[in-house]
Amino acid sequence: MMNRKNPLVLVSAFALVAAGMFSGCSKKNELDQTNTFYTSSIAKIKGLDPAFADDLYSGIETTRIYEGLMQYEYLKRPYTLKPALAEAMPTLSKDGKTYTFKLKKGIVFQDDKAFKASNGKGRELVAEDFAYSFKRLADPKLNSPMWWLFDGKIEGLNEWRDAAQKAGKPDYSAKVSGLKVVDATTLEIKLKTRSYQFIYSLAMPATSAVAHEVVEEYGPEFLNHPVGTGAFKLAEYNPSSQIVYVRNPSFREDFYPTEGEASDTAEGLLADAGKKVPFVDKIVMTVHTESQPQWLNFMQGKLDAAPIPKDNFAQAITASKELTPELKSKGIHLVKEPSLDITHTSFNMTDPLVGKNKLLRQAISMVVNVPEEIELFYNGRAVSAQGPIPPGLAGYDESLKNPYKEFNIEKAKELLKKAGYPDGKGLPPLEYLSLADSTARQMTEYFQKSLTAIGIQLKVQTFSWPEFQQSLKNKKGQMWSFAWGADYPDAENFLQLFYSKNFSPGPNDSNFSSPEFDKLYEKSLTLNDSAERTAIYKKMAAIVIEETPWVFGVHRVTYGLSHPWLKNYKPHEFLHGMSKYYKIDTSLRK
Amino acid sequence: MATFLVRRILGAIPIIFGVALVVFILFNVVGGDPALMMVGKHATAQQIADIRHEYGLDQPLIIQFFHYLKDIATFDFGRSYATRQKISDMIANGIGPSLSLTLPAFTLTTLVSVALGLLVSYFRGKVIDRVSVILCVIGMSIPSLGYILFGQYYLAYELRWFPISGYDYSFPGRFEYLFLPMILWLMLSIGYDVRFYRTAMLEETTQDYVRTARAKGLSEPKVFFKHVLKNSMVPIVTNVVLEIPLLILGSFLFETFFGIPGLGSITIDALHNSDFPVIKTMAFVTSLLLIFGNIVTDVVYALVDPRVKLK
Repeated sequence: MMNRKNPLVLVSAFALVAAGMFSGCSKKNELDQTNTFYTSSIAKIKGLDPAFADDLYSGIETTRIYEGLMQYEYLKRPYTLKPALAEAMPTLSKDGKTYTFKLKKGIVFQDDKAFKASNGKGRELVAEDFAYSFKRLADPKLNSPMWWLFDGKIEGLNEWRDAAQKAGKPDYSAKVSGLKVVDATTLEIKLKTRSYQFIYSLAMPATSAVAHEVVEEYGPEFLNHPVGTGAFKLAEYNPSSQIVYVRNPSFREDFYPTEGEASDTAEGLLADAGKKVPFVDKIVMTVHTESQPQWLNFMQGKLDAAPIPKDNFAQAITASKELTPELKSKGIHLVKEPSLDITHTSFNMTDPLVGKNKLLRQAISMVVNVPEEIELFYNGRAVSAQGPIPPGLAGYDESLKNPYKEFNIEKAKELLKKAGYPDGKGLPPLEYLSLADSTARQMTEYFQKSLTAIGIQLKVQTFSWPEFQQSLKNKKGQMWSFAWGADYPDAENFLQLFYSKNFSPGPNDSNFSSPEFDKLYEKSLTLNDSAERTAIYKKMAAIVIEETPWVFGVHRVTYGLSHPWLKNYKPHEFLHGMSKYYKIDTSLRK
Repeated sequence: MATFLVRRILGAIPIIFGVALVVFILFNVVGGDPALMMVGKHATAQQIADIRHEYGLDQPLIIQFFHYLKDIATFDFGRSYATRQKISDMIANGIGPSLSLTLPAFTLTTLVSVALGLLVSYFRGKVIDRVSVILCVIGMSIPSLGYILFGQYYLAYELRWFPISGYDYSFPGRFEYLFLPMILWLMLSIGYDVRFYRTAMLEETTQDYVRTARAKGLSEPKVFFKHVLKNSMVPIVTNVVLEIPLLILGSFLFETFFGIPGLGSITIDALHNSDFPVIKTMAFVTSLLLIFGNIVTDVVYALVDPRVKLK
């Protein structure tokens, strides 16, 4: 009896479930009319502990909740800093080594059960919180990937780390001479040597203020229990699929910027000047590790802003780099913003062949047809890099023409002949390391084809990301391609990639070494933003161009799309904490 | 039966040891250095050394392997190097979404495929059979990504029949998001499955007992439904039962494209990040599931085929 009934029951159940699904679909297809910002991330989020926010995506998510002493101006370019939790810009001692910060008063952490003394009510932020948060970056047990920000810079902090290492556990109550809590709202940071780039560290997500009570309460689970002072607080959390934030009711008084670039007024970006932020009540961040669902969700209005995937570029942008009529008719807005980055092909300067033959490197640099490469691999969204400094930073020279960036096969052949390898004769295939993904493979094949024009062969080795990293850090291989994005808006962040003390496993992956460059680099660190420092940056760039440890690639340009209901949206290289400025006009979200 | 189970479970120990050894060797030969992945782009030699020391990566390999075996034996999977999340939580949080997709999709596919397999084998050599075989081959030739891109673009984006992607933890709210991937799963698997079940059933139609049944004057539908279907259960059971435990591991492509927070991508992400604690856990879980699947298959054999005895 049962056997005969079972199939019917199954079929009926399936039909019921299917009907339920279809009825639900129509409801979910409608666009949300609440004051919610819908955004997405192309990468999974690694947790919400600022000490581990070393990638763009974790940084953006972390700073919806946490804040630091400094922040970037949202609209102004070039990128400049302004106070966040600091009351004003810090004072700097005459020797340029001591920064004194006064904190804003009345800032409170979000409520959490960890604040036992106040029955779960968030307590007031004090200077000691920053001293504690900075020590966390130095904690050897924590092994923060952001330790480099302070390593060797703050007086006494390395000693504190060493002591923690020796003792097997850190002592957060131990004083650090370079982190002096003068009173509840005054923090003095004393540096070992002058560093005018140091202040940028204090605008990075990693240096946000965390409360020791919360860290102690949750222990290793702290990364899943963020409690900050920021504009939003956590509502739902699944770092591999979706994070939902709601407005933090205890957020301080903060206002939309009143100044920006000349074009910002016309773009409507200053319409809310001086108004209290945040504007949105809720943020829904969905992880889309594939570009198709991200793009389709944007096109259906389920995401308020999105980048343009390479494969959908023709659907969105015309040959003249404007929006297609289809997107224009939807009221979609296109914004372009040059990225502070550079792509490059590195030569391993410790290699006895490519590292010792400048003419060979220069010849290789001249066979790459960069404009063609930009069209093929970047949909035209990039500019040729003439040197190591990207546009928008002091030291970048628009008129600079790198003599070894000219696409000239004949000259390249001449240089190769002078290098001792006429038409590539006598030159063994060069060992080229490539990542195994399809774009990297295509770019490698293109480079390989370009080099055959002058008789150079490549021996390509493809690797997974961990193996690729390992080869680079162990100085293996003769050439490879890589990219660098700015940590902060100073050319020093790009020039340090050629400083000999940053050899692999440090960021100087080409292992370039020049005593003259090092001397200039060290001098530049002691100088404030000035004509003198800019001149030094240019000299350093000229050395690198002449020595050619890299084949300079491109500086990419970000193309972002936003729906008409998303207001105050302007791409930013350092998106930390910017979501408080976005505004949704729900009447337009249809 | 009890002796059989005890013997099989004990026999699993050397298999798990072997899997652990292979995974450990592979990881240390081609896996990359986890310390480099953890330390970030501004690494210093000192910091790399500190991390290697902190995680015991500077110890002799034999000691590291011993710790690995101890972790397996005590079910102490630790935390991911890459995400620092507790691995047991990662698995516990992912099993529900993965099974919500794979179990109904697999059940549906199996039911439809067995029914179609029976139907086309019943009409062997007729137009319906030939057309089905052609459709199956076409279906098998289309890459899985093709189904996903088509489904997401036309069915979800153009026609708006389904959400493009997403997941809802509520029940049955989640099925709204899972219906499209389930349909695509069915489309993707049906070609292979129908051909497989058709072959299994056709093999049975050549057996003596089928000839006897026909000689007795039984109608063709009765021969097929009462005898052929029942006797072709052994290969069907092998196919189904072996796959069921692996359903827990989810589907990488479906979960990635549809934003389902399951276990599908956990191993891929771990390989990408040299995340050895997750790699070793997933290798252990997968081998356990396979062993379990094999044992269950043997038990089910004995249940569906009286000729099979468990010793």
